[in-house]
Amino acid sequence: MRNIGRFHAVMLAAGALWCAGCSQEKKVPIKETVEEAPSTPTLLTAVGMGDPKAEKQLLNGFYAIEANSWRWTAKDFSVVLRPPVGSAAQGAVLDLGISVPGGVIQKLHNVALSATINGTALPPETYSKEGQAEYKRDLAPNLLNGDSVRIDFHLDKAMPPANGDMRQLGVIARSVALEAK
Amino acid sequence: MTRARTAAYWTLPALICLAVHWQAFEAWFRADDFAWLSLYSHIQSFSDLLSALFRPEAQGTIRPWSERAFFIAGYALFGLDSLPYRVIIFATQFAGLALIQLTGFKLTGSRVAGLLAAVFWTINSTTTEPLGWACVYNEVMCAAFLLLALWFRIRLLESGKKRFQIFEWITFILGFGALELNLVYPALAAAYTWLSRYDTRQPRKKTPANWKHIGAMFAVSIVYFGIHTWAAPPAASGPYAMHFGPSMMRTLAEYWTWSVGPVYLELPPHVKLWMMLAAIVLVSVGLFAFLTRKLRAGFAMAAFCLVWYLVTFAPMLPLRDHITEYYGYIPVIGLAWLGGWALVEGWRRAGSTRIVAAALAAIYILMVLPRTVRATHWNYELTEEARDLVAGVARAQQLHPGQAILLDGVDEAGFINAVRDKAFVLIKADRVYLAPGSERRLTQQSDWDRVANYVLDPSIAQQGLARGQLQVYDVRGGTFHNITSTYRYTLRAEGLPSRVSAADPLTAYLLGPEWYALDIDHRWMGKRATLRMGAPKEPERKLYLTGYSVDALGPAEVKVSVNGMELPPAPVNPGPFQLSFALPDAIVGQREMKVAIEVSKTFRPSNEPRDLGLSFGTFEVR
Repeated sequence: MRNIGRFHAVMLAAGALWCAGCSQEKKVPIKETVEEAPSTPTLLTAVGMGDPKAEKQLLNGFYAIEANSWRWTAKDFSVVLRPPVGSAAQGAVLDLGISVPGGVIQKLHNVALSATINGTALPPETYSKEGQAEYKRDLAPNLLNGDSVRIDFHLDKAMPPANGDMRQLGVIARSVALEAK
Repeated sequence: MTRARTAAYWTLPALICLAVHWQAFEAWFRADDFAWLSLYSHIQSFSDLLSALFRPEAQGTIRPWSERAFFIAGYALFGLDSLPYRVIIFATQFAGLALIQLTGFKLTGSRVAGLLAAVFWTINSTTTEPLGWACVYNEVMCAAFLLLALWFRIRLLESGKKRFQIFEWITFILGFGALELNLVYPALAAAYTWLSRYDTRQPRKKTPANWKHIGAMFAVSIVYFGIHTWAAPPAASGPYAMHFGPSMMRTLAEYWTWSVGPVYLELPPHVKLWMMLAAIVLVSVGLFAFLTRKLRAGFAMAAFCLVWYLVTFAPMLPLRDHITEYYGYIPVIGLAWLGGWALVEGWRRAGSTRIVAAALAAIYILMVLPRTVRATHWNYELTEEARDLVAGVARAQQLHPGQAILLDGVDEAGFINAVRDKAFVLIKADRVYLAPGSERRLTQQSDWDRVANYVLDPSIAQQGLARGQLQVYDVRGGTFHNITSTYRYTLRAEGLPSRVSAADPLTAYLLGPEWYALDIDHRWMGKRATLRMGAPKEPERKLYLTGYSVDALGPAEVKVSVNGMELPPAPVNPGPFQLSFALPDAIVGQREMKVAIEVSKTFRPSNEPRDLGLSFGTFEVR
């Protein structure tokens, strides 16, 4: 009899445990996320390559910040910028500030840079001297509708990975901006 | 022994096990664990429970206690709190360790040899996954069943008491619920019984050998094998296909090196492969020399250690293409007994024998222990990554209820250990996707779902963002960073998606007006429905439809037209269906295609105002 009583007690306890387990909310692990601040600033119209806060606007093809002021690009690189106020009516100027390193010229002799904005190709420019340079193009108003524009840059040549550096290197980017006319 | 020494004797292997596998004790869940944990949510009735417990799953395995009941009851009681699961796994392991000590004593006549065997086993690298990965609990439980059944056989042979025979039978039968490997037990029982008759140390047995019962157990194993083969036929191809022949010897040789050395022959720093191989040869020669010496001296039970190893490995040897690190977990027990015995005997002899025995034991420990600790840590890190992903999604879901979640930056380990087995379903997050482009970074394995099925098409993502239906998180580094506001700029959508789920609110914009409202995880059509999707980019592609047809509809016919071109109809029968329709090459390269589906008949359930056709499901061009 005592054994039967024990058996019942064990079964009851197991049943109670089961019911308690089934009725309780399942324990779910939670880990805090980093949310965007409600007042997340809108996109910038001008991005300095040394500004880590603007990194989210560098979509692809940019390597890490160097010397707090510039970045190597790959052969293809893209940014997103906010069109300046009034540009949908008056247009704007795209201004990419670059430096063409001596090593690039020695090895590739020259590089041609072109860009596409919302599917519209902008004329290329060829650089055959080392040093600072700019890629500047007028943009028509119809290219600047909306609160953002994506600009895709393309170099016709780039230095392949070498000497243990696995990166494909294009030019040095210093800044990119859409300037109001 | 004093009480303190007795306590130390029984607790020492467990304490060493805990010390070595501490991170296994703290590990969470990963990979297959989630598939087993989700079983609970499919159980609505008693017949569902029976089905969940006994229906062949994953490579046709039927393991009702060690996988089904373990995870179903565990999830029902503890949800995703891994600690209780670990307590059960380690408690079973400790029971196994105690049984190894007991059996080791009976085999060798030395309690210390039994203790050393338990220690040698628990530090072996094959123990990492059984202790650290919940879904490999079947190995731990099977070891306990085999050892317990053998212990009852030993007691039966010693005492002749009938009750041990009954216990042996119960344990043997229940063992089938742990792992298929249990079917080798009759061979172990026969070997032990036979060898014990020839062991010169053992007094001539007056007790019967119970050969009839062993024969009956063989019969049970054969019947089990027959039923199992009928219910879950062995794979004819793929990694689980069986290959009988010389490859079995190669497989055994590979497993041997993983048994006396580290799994995968993983080398510690500064150790070269030849050193490792030399060490494995030394330990192997030591074991075989000891075995030969014992057999020559009439200690027939020494052979049982090797028999255990070979018999418990035998079923895995034909799996030439599925060599798995934890398959050695149970077989290694045999070598651990032999090793423990060899060390005790060697230590008892003075001089060089003692030195050699101690050196070989030290070499073994130095080979296996670092790998065991490293692999335990590796396994722990994988479970942490899976936990980070699940916990991050859980938080994202709290913050953005009703929205789908897109994960950017999921790596291979995160995909394999959390995403692929649908871990998020357990936290009721059904709409979690990988970011477009993930399929290019992740490896597609031939025996798994297509990676692309987990990835959201860029055009759907773009629409979802524009409609505020989607939150995007960068998960690199383990912490979720919300990048929703900038993510859309990275998307390059071209045309419409080639895969549309009728059951996903994110793709509702592609469905025509004929569709009924979403029913949780499916969507009904009436007699006819339409949708827009991407046209094939290459010729000879097919349109695949998946969904469900209910019994009330009965056999029916499905007609599909694409951009007005009718395709040959296909029959559909009650149950889940997958239909495929060859697409005309004329639509290749078009920006989109309009698909119309028509079912030959509909039905109207009672209390239902709608005429229902088929329930969907997905549409995919591939």
